Amino acid sequence: MTGITLAVPSKGRLEELTREWFAARGLTISRPGGARSYLGVMEGEPDVTVRFFPASEIARELIRGNIDIGVTGRDLIHETSETGPDSVHFARSLEFGHADVVIAVPEAWIDVTHLHDLADVASDFRSRHKRWLRIATKYITITRQHFARAGIAEYRIVESLGATEAAPASGVADIVVDITSTGSTLAANGLRVLDDGIMLKSEANLIVSRTADWPDEKKRKLNSLLAQLAADPL
Amino acid sequence: MTNAAMRRAQLEALVEAQGGCRATPPLLLPADPYFDLAGEEFGRRLLLTSDLTGAEHCLRPEFTLPIVRDYIADGTRQPAAFTYLGPIFRQRETGPVEFDQAGIELLAQPDGEVALDQVFTFARAALSIYGLPARVRLGGVGLFEALLVQADMPAAWRPRIRHRFGHTEAMERLLARLEAAPDAPRQEQPSRDVLIEDVTARMVSSGLSLSEGRTPEEIADRYLEQQALDAAHVPAKTLKLLRDYLAISGDVLSALRQIEALADSHKLILGAPIRAIRRHLDKLGEARVDFDAGFSPRLDYYTGIVFEMTGRNGDVLASGGQYDRLLERLGATAPIAASGCALWVDRLEAEISA
Repeated sequence: MTGITLAVPSKGRLEELTREWFAARGLTISRPGGARSYLGVMEGEPDVTVRFFPASEIARELIRGNIDIGVTGRDLIHETSETGPDSVHFARSLEFGHADVVIAVPEAWIDVTHLHDLADVASDFRSRHKRWLRIATKYITITRQHFARAGIAEYRIVESLGATEAAPASGVADIVVDITSTGSTLAANGLRVLDDGIMLKSEANLIVSRTADWPDEKKRKLNSLLAQLAADPL
Repeated sequence: MTNAAMRRAQLEALVEAQGGCRATPPLLLPADPYFDLAGEEFGRRLLLTSDLTGAEHCLRPEFTLPIVRDYIADGTRQPAAFTYLGPIFRQRETGPVEFDQAGIELLAQPDGEVALDQVFTFARAALSIYGLPARVRLGGVGLFEALLVQADMPAAWRPRIRHRFGHTEAMERLLARLEAAPDAPRQEQPSRDVLIEDVTARMVSSGLSLSEGRTPEEIADRYLEQQALDAAHVPAKTLKLLRDYLAISGDVLSALRQIEALADSHKLILGAPIRAIRRHLDKLGEARVDFDAGFSPRLDYYTGIVFEMTGRNGDVLASGGQYDRLLERLGATAPIAASGCALWVDRLEAEISA
């Protein structure tokens, strides 16, 4: 098999922007079966099979090597697996879908402006409140890695699959790790991003799986496709 | 019998020969105590599963915690010795999730130093089964704590520095921050009452409970403390002492001499913790022993002396030490001396085939 599988987001604004981005570079992706079909074609590129996937599945399948290249957010690669970033090659940014994964604390915590303040608060939180500092997030992997590097171990993660910014007010957690493009949702919920609280800058990326099979012929085709997209070769 | 099976049988015999009770905690354990004790950093290594009620369990990730919990639950304060050998389960970057660990736990022994000697002897005997020379790396938690208590600095900085002990990067960031602290004149601070009122208003307006988490008083106090700390410099001489101390690493005798010289020049009294380390060197015999002043596990229940024994490529084959604060953390009502170590059986065997 020397065909290349390209996975693109299956719905919403991300799908539109992705198809526009490819079209602007002379590669039109069409969906012959209509919006409910998950198989597409790239016109003039018979060797490329296009598949439509939810963005988080694209990250997982790239890391596993089940698809060859795909478009998804950098954050999802980092979150899906600790070894995610090593399993893929970020070929280029698509310059949309900008968002940061950030640490935000209640605005009322006037004494906490930096990560080192949070380290202090976390270290004696348990003795003061008989429980650990709780962090609501859907970014479990990224949070654990970042906090380990910062030397903060005294906390518990509360998994949050939606409306994370409401967790402190509802008493589910003390602080949050969330994704934001402008910070306005966080601010509207009385939360403030720490001065050094950006854990990851994310945007849509064209990503190549390193764990997929890359026989010479297929790799040659990939690199010529990447060249056409002004992306870094594998 | 293959050589590997023979070594395994010898290890089994060594574990039995310690005169302790052979502990066999269940494979499936409640997960919460691990998160409670070691936080998310260790939590991410657990293999988790949940039951119908939603309660989380984990496959046994180590032996110490269930052994110590059972000991506390028994309510006896008598000296006890436990040994173990069996499978544990952890998420790792490389290597299988299931692997064997052997070890020893000595609790409430009348002499904590004698107990640590027994732990050293046990670990060395295990390494010798595999024909491995012991390369020992010692760390001094007690020594660092003694130095910190005497070092000249505003008291509020001590817990902050202690908390970063064992995490080289976090310690480096803190020391760099302290060194760069600006000599700005202190600004007039609002009064505590005004701050509390302000924080309360902010909390109420964003719907935060005033009692469930951090309270307005706690936030205001820490804010004021922080402002005071920013003005209260750690003397440059003390920062240099900490840097010089943490940089000491190498052959134990020369490292301890360097520490003594440092203590002399800063008028610190570190004789007792240094002597405690020296006394144990006999039990380490021919082993190559290094002392690394910055080395400590990142768990605050360790006390006194900690150690690792490493293989050819620096893999940790045995690790342990004294952890007198562990039993209190797990609910004991008074301090109980504890020491022990764990052996990585698969790594011991791998050293031979390497």
